[in-house]
Amino acid sequence: MAEAMAESYNRDSEPTTRTLLRRVLDTADTLTPRRRRSARVSAQKALLETPSSRRLSSPTKMNVRRRSHRARSIGRLAHVHTSGNLEEQTPRTLLKNILLTAPESSVMMPESVVKPVPTPQVVQSSRRESSRGSLELQLPELEPPTTLALGLLAPGRRKQRQRLSVFQQGMDQGLPLSQEPRGNGSASSLTSSLNLTFATPLQPQSAQRPGLARRPPTRRAVDVGAFLQDLRDTSLALASPGDSLRTPVATLPTDTVLEDTQPFSQPLIGRSPSVYHSLPCLSHTEAEDAKRAVSHRTQSSGPRLQNHNPGKPTQLLAGKAKKVDALAVSFPNNSSAVSGEDGVEPLQDGVGEEAEERMEESLSVSKVVATTGTQGSVRMEKSKGHREMTEAAEAKEPEGSSGASLELASSTTEFLQARRPQFLEPAPPPSAAVLSSEPLEPLSTRLPPRARTPGPRPRQDPHKTGLSHYVKLFSFYAKMPMEKAALEMVEKCLDKYFQHLCDDLEVFAAHAGRKTVRPEDLELLMRRQGLVNDQVSLHVLVERHLPLEYRQLLIPCAFSGNSVFPAQ
Amino acid sequence: MEEEEEGGGEEQQQFSYRQRLKAAVHYTVGCLCEEVASDRGMPFSKPAIAAVSELTFRQCETFAKDLEMFARHAKRSTINTEDVKLLARRSNSLLKYITEKTEELAQFNTEQKAKKKQKLEEDNTRAVVPAEAAAARKDGP
Repeated sequence: MAEAMAESYNRDSEPTTRTLLRRVLDTADTLTPRRRRSARVSAQKALLETPSSRRLSSPTKMNVRRRSHRARSIGRLAHVHTSGNLEEQTPRTLLKNILLTAPESSVMMPESVVKPVPTPQVVQSSRRESSRGSLELQLPELEPPTTLALGLLAPGRRKQRQRLSVFQQGMDQGLPLSQEPRGNGSASSLTSSLNLTFATPLQPQSAQRPGLARRPPTRRAVDVGAFLQDLRDTSLALASPGDSLRTPVATLPTDTVLEDTQPFSQPLIGRSPSVYHSLPCLSHTEAEDAKRAVSHRTQSSGPRLQNHNPGKPTQLLAGKAKKVDALAVSFPNNSSAVSGEDGVEPLQDGVGEEAEERMEESLSVSKVVATTGTQGSVRMEKSKGHREMTEAAEAKEPEGSSGASLELASSTTEFLQARRPQFLEPAPPPSAAVLSSEPLEPLSTRLPPRARTPGPRPRQDPHKTGLSHYVKLFSFYAKMPMEKAALEMVEKCLDKYFQHLCDDLEVFAAHAGRKTVRPEDLELLMRRQGLVNDQVSLHVLVERHLPLEYRQLLIPCAFSGNSVFPAQ
Repeated sequence: MEEEEEGGGEEQQQFSYRQRLKAAVHYTVGCLCEEVASDRGMPFSKPAIAAVSELTFRQCETFAKDLEMFARHAKRSTINTEDVKLLARRSNSLLKYITEKTEELAQFNTEQKAKKKQKLEEDNTRAVVPAEAAAARKDGP
C-alpha cells in the first residue's frame, strides 16, 4: 500500500531512475518480460512517452517492457511482486531489492550524506552511476543479475571488489584510498567512469571487468615532429664534442634508463627527451640527417623498425648495448619515420656499440650523420640482425671503399661507412646508396669534404670500444679473473667474428639480389652456423632467447581486424 | 614386418652406397696425398689419410646442403656458379681460382654463342641475298 502511494507520489514528480524502476516493477509481470511485450506496446505508448522520452535512452527491450508494464493497472501493489521474487533472482527481483534498500538519492545531485548501503546495491548503484547522464536501464538485461547475484552470494567477493574498486579509484585518480562513501567527490570528479557516488566506493567500470582492469596503457605513436624538434633543439643546444667526451657523459644518463625493466613501456617516452637533452652526442647535423633519413625511411622500413628507433642518442653514448636497447625500446614507436632518425639504432647488441663508437666519430662530421641517419634507418629494417647488421655494414665498408659505390647489398654497409671514417670518402657514396635504393647521392657527395675531420685517434677508439661491453660480459661469465691480454684477445676475436658475420650477411643479401639485409639472410646464416636446423627453426630460437617484446616484433602474429603484425 | 625389412633393406642399401662413396673418396684422397708427399718429401700416415678422407666426405655433405640453401635463398631451383662462389668465398685463393675458371667458362660460352650467331647470320644473309636479288630483278624490269 505504502509502496503504491509512494509510487504515485513519485510519479508526479520528475521521473528519476527510481521512479521508473518502481513503475516497472509495479506494472510488469513476474514472468520473463521479453516474451509478451509486443502485444502491449501500442496500447501504452502514450502513457510512457512523457516520462521515458525525457531522459531515458533505454534500450528497446526496456521500452517494450515498460510499455507492457503500463498495460497493467498502475495501482497494483508492488509488494505482491516483491515478496514472491526474492528467491528467483530475476532482474526484476534484483531491481526490487535495489528500490527497497537503496536510499532515495538522485543520480545527478551530489549527496552530502551518503549512507552506507548494503553491498548488493552498491554494485547495482555503481553501475547505474556509471551510466549516468542517461537513465539507461540496461541493468535488467546485463549486469545486475550477475553482479547482484554475485554480491548476494559472495559477500567476501564483494568486499574484494570494493577493495579493488577503491584501489583502482585510488590508482586512477591518485586519491588516497578510503572506504568511506565519497558521494561528495563523485559529482565533481571529472571522470565519469570512476563512479564515486552513491555509497561505499563504487567499482569503476574497469573493475567490473577485472580481466581488463590491468590492461597496460595503450601506446601512442611517438609524435615524430615533436621528437625531431626535440632532437634538433638538443643538438643545437649542445655542442658536439669529440667522441671521447661524449662517451663518458653519455653513459651517465643512460644508466638510469637502463634500469627500467619494461623497455617498451610508455613512461619512457616522456623520459626520452630528457635523455636526449642529457646526451651531448647528438650533433646538429644528426638531427638533420635523422630528418632526411626519416623521410627516406618511411617507405623502406616496415613494422620492423619499431623497436629500433630512438636508440640513437643512447647508442652513441652508451658503449653498452643494454643502454641502447633500453632507449631504443623505450620508444614504442610505430613510426618508421622516427626510426629513421637514428643512425643509431637498432643494434641492441653490443656490436652496435662498436658501430656507435665509429658512428660517433663519423657523426662528428655533419654529412656523415646523414649517412648514419640513412644507415640507421636501414638498420632498423634489420630488426633481427642486431649486431650482425652492423657487422655486415662493417664488412661492407671495405668493399664499399674499394669503389663499388652504390651496390651495397646491405644497408648496414652504409652504417659501416660511417663507422670507419678512414674509408669515409668512398664510403659515403656506398652508404648513400643502400637505403631502400633511394638515391642519396646528394648526401654522399657532400660527405667526402667533411670525412677527414676525425683524426686517426678517434678511428681506433670507436673501432674497439663497442666491443668492450661484450668483453665485460665475457669476463663476467668466465667467473674467474682474466688477464688483460686475454681480454684483448677476446675483443679481437669478437671483432673478427662480427666482421665475418656482417660480411656474410651482406653477401647473402647480394646473393638474393637485394641491397638490404633481411631476416631471411640471417636465417641462412644461422643455418650455416648450425643454430637453425630442421628441428629448430628461427622462431623457436627467438622464443627461447629473446624477450617478449622482440618476439612480438619478429614473429608474425595475427591480431584482430584481420591484421598481421609484423606485416610480411 | 615387410615394411621394416624393406626399410631396413633401403637403409642397408643407402649405407652400402655411402660406404662405396666413402671408399671412392678415400681412394682419391690417398692419391692426392701421395702426390703431395712426393712433392714435399714427407710421407702421409694411413690414419691421417683416413682422417682427411672422412673430413672431405663430411665437408662434401655440408657443401651440398649449403649449396642447396643458397640456391633456395636466391629463389632458384638449380645450383649455380654463383652459389659455388658464395660457398668458396672464405678462402681467397680458392675463390680466385673459381672465379677465374668461371670467367673462362663464360668466355668460352660467349665465344661459342658468337660463332653460332655468325653461322646463323651467314645463312640468313645467304638466304636473304638471293631473295633480294630475285626481288630486285623482279622490280627492275
